[in-house]
Amino acid sequence: MSLDEMIRMAFASLAANKTRAFLTMVGIWIGVASILAIVAIGNGGKAMVIGAISSGSERNVIQIVPRELVAPGLPQPGQVLSIDDSDLAIAASFSGVEAVNETFYGTAVVESGDKSDNVTLFAGPSDLNDLARFLVVRGRMFTAEDVLSHRNVAVISQSLANKLFGSGNPLGAVITLSGVPLEVVGVAQPEQASLYSFVMGSDNLYIPDTTCEDIFPNWTASEMDVVVKPGVDVSSLANRIVLALNIHAGDPSAFVDSSGLLASVSALVGKVTTILTAVIGAVAGIALVVGGVGVMNIMLVSVTERTQEIGIRVSLGAKKRDIITQFLVESMTITSLGGLAGIATGIAVSVGLRALTGIPASVPWPVGALSFVFSAVIGVICGLYPAVKAANLNPIDALRYE
Amino acid sequence: MIRLVGVTKSYRVGDQVIPVLKGIDLEVGRGEFVTIMGPSGSGKSTLMHIVGLLDRPTSGDYELNGQPVLHLPSNHLARLRNQNIGFVFQNFHLIPRMSALRNVELPMVYAGVPRARRRDRAMELLEKVGMANRAHHLPNELSGGQRQRVAIARALANDPAVLLADEPTGALDQQTGAEILRLLQDLNASGRTVMVITHDPHVARAGRRILHMVDGEIVREEVRDESR
Repeated sequence: MSLDEMIRMAFASLAANKTRAFLTMVGIWIGVASILAIVAIGNGGKAMVIGAISSGSERNVIQIVPRELVAPGLPQPGQVLSIDDSDLAIAASFSGVEAVNETFYGTAVVESGDKSDNVTLFAGPSDLNDLARFLVVRGRMFTAEDVLSHRNVAVISQSLANKLFGSGNPLGAVITLSGVPLEVVGVAQPEQASLYSFVMGSDNLYIPDTTCEDIFPNWTASEMDVVVKPGVDVSSLANRIVLALNIHAGDPSAFVDSSGLLASVSALVGKVTTILTAVIGAVAGIALVVGGVGVMNIMLVSVTERTQEIGIRVSLGAKKRDIITQFLVESMTITSLGGLAGIATGIAVSVGLRALTGIPASVPWPVGALSFVFSAVIGVICGLYPAVKAANLNPIDALRYE
Repeated sequence: MIRLVGVTKSYRVGDQVIPVLKGIDLEVGRGEFVTIMGPSGSGKSTLMHIVGLLDRPTSGDYELNGQPVLHLPSNHLARLRNQNIGFVFQNFHLIPRMSALRNVELPMVYAGVPRARRRDRAMELLEKVGMANRAHHLPNELSGGQRQRVAIARALANDPAVLLADEPTGALDQQTGAEILRLLQDLNASGRTVMVITHDPHVARAGRRILHMVDGEIVREEVRDESR
């Protein structure tokens, strides 16, 4: 019997009981759709989180920090805790380096009128917003000019602004840091979902590094920002600079490239999301198994109902193989249609989610193709037992069956 | 054409062995019209199932067209059944959700006849049994006599040498039954071997040879005159 003949026959007998065939299909449909939706959401979430963490990691700045600042603990004797001018000079001596800037982190107290607050202080060059991952949402960022002229200007985070000024306008107001007045020129917000916003507090004060050195002459830089010339291999240059700094410090692990740290964090997050997706996907897979059991159940019912038909077919010359194939094609038709509907639903869910939430959810096409094949395979697995049962019926008993 | 030698069949029920056929010797030549008559439980249906290759005897030999068939594997028997034997049943046994035409096509589907040829042949056969105008009706839209005509057309699909009919008129009124018997006689007249099983003496008289069965044995053979 030819394949198109068998498929024609399968459709004819499914059409004879449309509601039942449809309801059986729904089980597979839901199973496939939920697996695809979860994979899509998992992929989208992973892409979003990794994108957020490593956003800007491709920029041409190497951020070098003393290891102690990365992994807090009791400093070893001789442990490098800060970056001094000789370190800056070493970095600057590499070809391919455009400029070397310092960034200071620390805690401080700011005052405005009768209010005061503990803040995290960031001091750095005029591209500090890039390095410390914040956006100036009102006013402006301090400029290179501000930095050069040691101006007493500050950008404050939104939450600090709220604490000090309530709903009033912070721009142009004067705050005091360690007795020194600073003019507020901008209000900042952390870049959305960046790693820094998780790690750093929310009451932040950002000032030019030159101003910081004036106010706190004893502070030493906490981070060295090496700006790389265009076209230079950033990671290889970073390795060479870190190596040179470590040799200079006499400690093989004195400094690290913190953007490398980001890369490893994002790899870890990627792994965790993948595992989570797999686990939840496996739970959704249970729905598919339940759907498959439903198909097997209905096929068994169908074999019983059509016992006489099977007897008739055998009397007309159907071979065992013909009977088995007939029922297998029927159950495969149910599960494949369910699979197709599930794939369509899964894709619709991911498209809808992308439109509604901006999570870049997507169904990778190999996953879609695989779930179609898999649903057909479920049809074979779940149809096999009923089909073999049908083929092994005694034709005489089957003919007599009413 | 059909040759049975010492065919027995017994069923095991618990540890009891119940003999249904007790040594049947039967020879049916090409073009014969044979009826097998007997009360229910005489084993005549079992005999027909064995002749029709739906069942295997417990012992004995069976040659179909001079070829011993009992040792053949079931796939081979399915093909012999498909090509050489047409069944007609008391309750018609049409497949309910298939049109008359599709029912008639079915044996040709299993024979691998291409669709267009199959369709033509099925139409031709329905015409032959006077059912061409009902080709696209479902069985439940047809009367009993019409259904049996469709069933006969289906039995003829692969042009089998033998028609086996088990109480073909059992579910029909007398007049319709007589029409069906006449149809079988016409088919026999054009050279087809016909074997009818019945408990009804009127039906049995349609055959040239009447074999009387009682308790799993052929007890008497009656050969009728040429007159119908």
